[in-house]
Amino acid sequence: MSSTERSLNGVGLGLRWEFLEEVLAAPELGLAFWEICPENYMHRGGYYPYALGRIAEREPVVTHGLTLSIGGSEPAPLDYLHELRDEIRRVGAPWHSDHLCFGNAGPRMLHELLPLKQSSANAQRAAERLRRARDVLGVPVLVENITWYAHPGRREMPEADFITEVVERAETGLLLDVNNVWVNAQNHGFEPRAFIRALPLDRVRQIHVAGHTRTPSGLILDTHGEKVVDPVIDLLGFTLEHTGPMPVLLERDNQVPELPELLDEVGRLRAAYDRAMTRREAPLARSA
Amino acid sequence: MPEALERAFAELALGAEPVPADPVAVRAWLDRSGVSADDAAAILDDGADRLFVYRTLIRATLRDAVECAIPRTMHRLGGVFDEYFTRYLSEVGPRSRYLRDITTELLDFCAPLWPDDPRVPPWAMDLARHEAVQIVVASELARPLGAEPGVLDLDTPVRFIDAVRLMSYDHAVHRLSDRLDDRTPPAAEPTRLLVYRSPEHDVRYLQLTPLAAAILERLLAGDALGAALLDATRSTGTELGESVLAGTAALLADLAERGALVGSNRPPERMTT
Repeated sequence: MSSTERSLNGVGLGLRWEFLEEVLAAPELGLAFWEICPENYMHRGGYYPYALGRIAEREPVVTHGLTLSIGGSEPAPLDYLHELRDEIRRVGAPWHSDHLCFGNAGPRMLHELLPLKQSSANAQRAAERLRRARDVLGVPVLVENITWYAHPGRREMPEADFITEVVERAETGLLLDVNNVWVNAQNHGFEPRAFIRALPLDRVRQIHVAGHTRTPSGLILDTHGEKVVDPVIDLLGFTLEHTGPMPVLLERDNQVPELPELLDEVGRLRAAYDRAMTRREAPLARSA
Repeated sequence: MPEALERAFAELALGAEPVPADPVAVRAWLDRSGVSADDAAAILDDGADRLFVYRTLIRATLRDAVECAIPRTMHRLGGVFDEYFTRYLSEVGPRSRYLRDITTELLDFCAPLWPDDPRVPPWAMDLARHEAVQIVVASELARPLGAEPGVLDLDTPVRFIDAVRLMSYDHAVHRLSDRLDDRTPPAAEPTRLLVYRSPEHDVRYLQLTPLAAAILERLLAGDALGAALLDATRSTGTELGESVLAGTAALLADLAERGALVGSNRPPERMTT
């Protein structure tokens, strides 16, 4: 099924190898869409691309990459972009997303989402990269706000302004990770709802939700290894009230539980989603 | 200058163990990387501790990827393995966008070094390669077949699937148990395996005689079947007679049955005018 044939609004789940067999064998699981990390399927053969192909034939899939290095000093190589384009086409993803970060230092790949200095020059470069990626990939390329643990240098602008400048200059959509906002708010001491209000919410095209881990030092790490906590679910509801219906994704990459447990968590998010839509429609209903 | 901060992160993550509490060392690290004085001052003002979290995260990701591929080698070598992993990160570092490639990169780095290190058992590279080939073959990209493969004949190279590797070890590492706590050394025994991906996507291992391995080595290098037979029998001191021809035919038929061999690489027909 082409993902463009139906709306992806609602709650989807990150497709992980741990439960790939169950998904293949299961009938309709009631998810709005699946999200994959294309680097796990690109440039490879064998079982995993085969299984993904079968799933993509019957359910919508979007791609969420890790190595575009949008803010890096060097642009992503064209052969990587072409392989990514082929993967996006293979699964029929209606858009691709990656992170507002860098991930390599020259030829050395660091395999981490590393923070950019929040400056206008970096926003301009990231926007250029996003436009180039969109041109090569042939689909909209959304950019995601990351969790960052330290700022690398002198900040020239608040993070919300940095993100806004990137998406406005690139004329692209924002993948708003509300867990990342909440984690950053805890680690750096700001009010998450004010941060979200400062973003260009009309540019949000997808939302991510995930769990995190608090270390003994008090620092919270964006591990995607635990259940989503209630404050993050509340922040999701707050965000949805402002954005309206939206594709929302539950990410779980570490300590992946059994699929039924993940589907229960999707159910919690769906309930929060529905409550947010009800709250959003209530003032309209009263004024009608 | 973004390149300077990228260099700083690379050294932080891949280089020697840093000392976050020492402002002089932090300043020296930032200066070495070319970070501007203003950015360096801001990092020092904020305290570099949280920046150093990235070292832990990056090294854990890379190490997990290697452990996923060669867990028994890592457990058997213990601290010696850690030492080489540290050297690899520092001297080369990961080059591929695909995490699954890091093990091959690491082993390529270690291959010329381990034979000279008496702490590394002589079978260690055999075991590491044997473990690593599983993911390599499982994930090998299968290119489109292109031209229809032809019938085998002596004058034409043989066409295999892409997901096939011929492995040659000095030790019988394929007979070791899968247990991480097993420390039984493998027997010193020349071993040749054909590792291939079945049509059902499983990785399979086929032990070969020296002659079969020699024939397949040449075929995989692109030699025509007849030339491969001549060369392989010569190099193994085997007489090229009826039994070798019959055995080769049986081997190739078996490989075709297993889905590892698809036919002959018929050369393109010549244009005539």
